[in-house]
Amino acid sequence: MSDDITARLQTYLAKKLEQPALHVSDLARIPGGASRETYRFRARYGDVERALILRRDPPASLIETDRTTEFRAYQAFHKLGLPVPEPVALELEGAVLDRPFFVMEEITGCEVASILSPDPYASHREKIGKQFWSVLGQIAKADVAAIGLSDFEGARDPKEAWRHEVARWEKVIDEDEREPQPIARAAIRWLKRNPPPPAQKIGVVHGDYRTGNFLFNASGDIRAILDWEMAHLGDPLEDLGWALDPLWAHGDPSHPAGLIARADAIGIWEAESGLKADPTALAWWETFASLKGLAIWISAACEYAEGRNTDAVNAFSGWFCLAFHNKVLAERLSA
Amino acid sequence: MKPEVDQILGLSAGQLMGQLAPLLPNSFAIGGASLLGVMMTFAAQEYERGADIRVAENGDMRALFRDAAPQIGDAELKVMVAKAAATEDRSLKISMLNAENTELRRVLIRLQAHAEEKGLTALERRIWDLLKESADRRLLRLG
Repeated sequence: MSDDITARLQTYLAKKLEQPALHVSDLARIPGGASRETYRFRARYGDVERALILRRDPPASLIETDRTTEFRAYQAFHKLGLPVPEPVALELEGAVLDRPFFVMEEITGCEVASILSPDPYASHREKIGKQFWSVLGQIAKADVAAIGLSDFEGARDPKEAWRHEVARWEKVIDEDEREPQPIARAAIRWLKRNPPPPAQKIGVVHGDYRTGNFLFNASGDIRAILDWEMAHLGDPLEDLGWALDPLWAHGDPSHPAGLIARADAIGIWEAESGLKADPTALAWWETFASLKGLAIWISAACEYAEGRNTDAVNAFSGWFCLAFHNKVLAERLSA
Repeated sequence: MKPEVDQILGLSAGQLMGQLAPLLPNSFAIGGASLLGVMMTFAAQEYERGADIRVAENGDMRALFRDAAPQIGDAELKVMVAKAAATEDRSLKISMLNAENTELRRVLIRLQAHAEEKGLTALERRIWDLLKESADRRLLRLG
């Protein structure tokens, strides 16, 4: 099967990059989440050897995400100078590799933290922490029109950003829940009864900015922000709330993402973005983050239980993560 | 004494993650096998506690419904809550307990929304206490 992909990918890239002698080798599947199949490979032509990544749609996806969105987000933020892999090619038709895919640069010599690891950043916690919250601030600061993403899915009206997102994830729960979810339903009602203030701006929301979704090297430099597949337009506080969520805290929510102290993290984000993290608004977006998590885990459980995508990641998400966020929300909403 | 299912799953998970996974040829296979090991440790936990969690949760919901029914003004909901309070778990099979749990949760969602709408704060508080306890019981341990 991988030989077959290698041959077809070689033919495709030779044409796409106008390099008839291009040779593809060393194709190997690597971990990359349940929403895309991820492979690394080498492409050689002339004196050039490129380390590349193939991201192909799986037969069924955890959350229906648009690979065009992901590819264009990589393009826009790579151009802006953020640590993002260079996108190389996007193919929307299934004729080449059976399903849509895109190819991007591989960032080598790096690692990615497992959310199950108690202290993945060790002595680099401070250094990585400053970069992590700073990059998120830079994403929030980006001018949507200037980087060419004005047509992205999402809210245009700052007053409607919260409503757009609640509706989006409520729909996912409506469609995918296989058993009634009292805590998720109570959270949705609470979010609607207590809306946040209007967004300070409409920005690009990464959608899954967290520990485990960036690459860092042995010197503690963040080299790549990954997994832009849920990127959309909305309130930049949405990303901040998600990144602060206790699920990503490696066991210590006072140091979100397993990095620096919460107050320092928010301070860096504010300084970099030029926005304020109003405590009431942020509290709303943090509650929303856990609800959005529940929606994703409910969807994962559904994919797995109905046999559309039996990647163990879906079983883990639909069980461990679902139970975790139910507890977070029950404590938060009952306080 | 024969080895119990949770012990078999736990030890098998340890062997899979500690001894077999490192022998696999690449990070995708190692990561996949390790995650399967984690799922086996969860299954071990659930084997021991699964029926107990569901029986306790179903019992808590029925007790709450019995106490709440007299306070409910909405006639249709009142009947629904009283009916749910009178049900019972007829089997300890997980599938049967789940089926009961699903019906009880449906009623709980309706009741909680009603309590919020009518400002029945004591009932709201009791529902949240139940939901917190349920969430605590169902949490999975990684270690």
